[in-house]
Amino acid sequence: MEVRRQTVFEAEREEVWDALTDPERLREWFANDVELDLRPGGSGTFRWDDGAVRHATVARVEEARELELLWWDDDGAESVVTISLAECPEGTRVTVVESPVRAGLQAPAEWSWGVELLASAERSRPLARLR
Amino acid sequence: MLGYLAQRETATATELARELPVTRQAVAKHLAALREVGLVSSARLGRETRYRLTPEPLTPALEWMLDVGGAWDARLEALRRHLGRR
Repeated sequence: MEVRRQTVFEAEREEVWDALTDPERLREWFANDVELDLRPGGSGTFRWDDGAVRHATVARVEEARELELLWWDDDGAESVVTISLAECPEGTRVTVVESPVRAGLQAPAEWSWGVELLASAERSRPLARLR
Repeated sequence: MLGYLAQRETATATELARELPVTRQAVAKHLAALREVGLVSSARLGRETRYRLTPEPLTPALEWMLDVGGAWDARLEALRRHLGRR
């Protein structure tokens, strides 16, 4: 089971990588406070003003191409996140895949595709999200 | 819409469209796609087609996918705005 998102940014690959990995830049768009040691085995901590905290361990770094990390919030549920960057005519294509480590979350494989289908349909014709 | 179905035993496309800010046509299209991938099943009762979520224990896994997917949509939008401002 996984969540997958892919999008294109009109920016150079190195620029997008920087925005994704430099703590100073991450503080501008991702979290309010960021510590990140971008080396295999390095730790990361992301804090938000509402008190939320997320921790990470870097698994793999391929400079300006791919980042893989394990992360978890205070509930403890861990996921593996892989972020891949590739050049494309419009700029940089970013692919994000997140999958839970926890064995208890099982779902038929078709569901990932079904939920992606719904998500992409929602993006082009937004439905109100019910919470 | 999936959240809505999770709260009711069954629903028709008309009922869903009445509750959600979209046309019945859009709802029917979504339902057909969800049925194709096994997330909902349907049964005809007279002239109505009623939809229900498939009976697997879906809530934790589905909620995870919706939450995490939504979180990434928001993050990527924030990243897009950040890159656009530079």
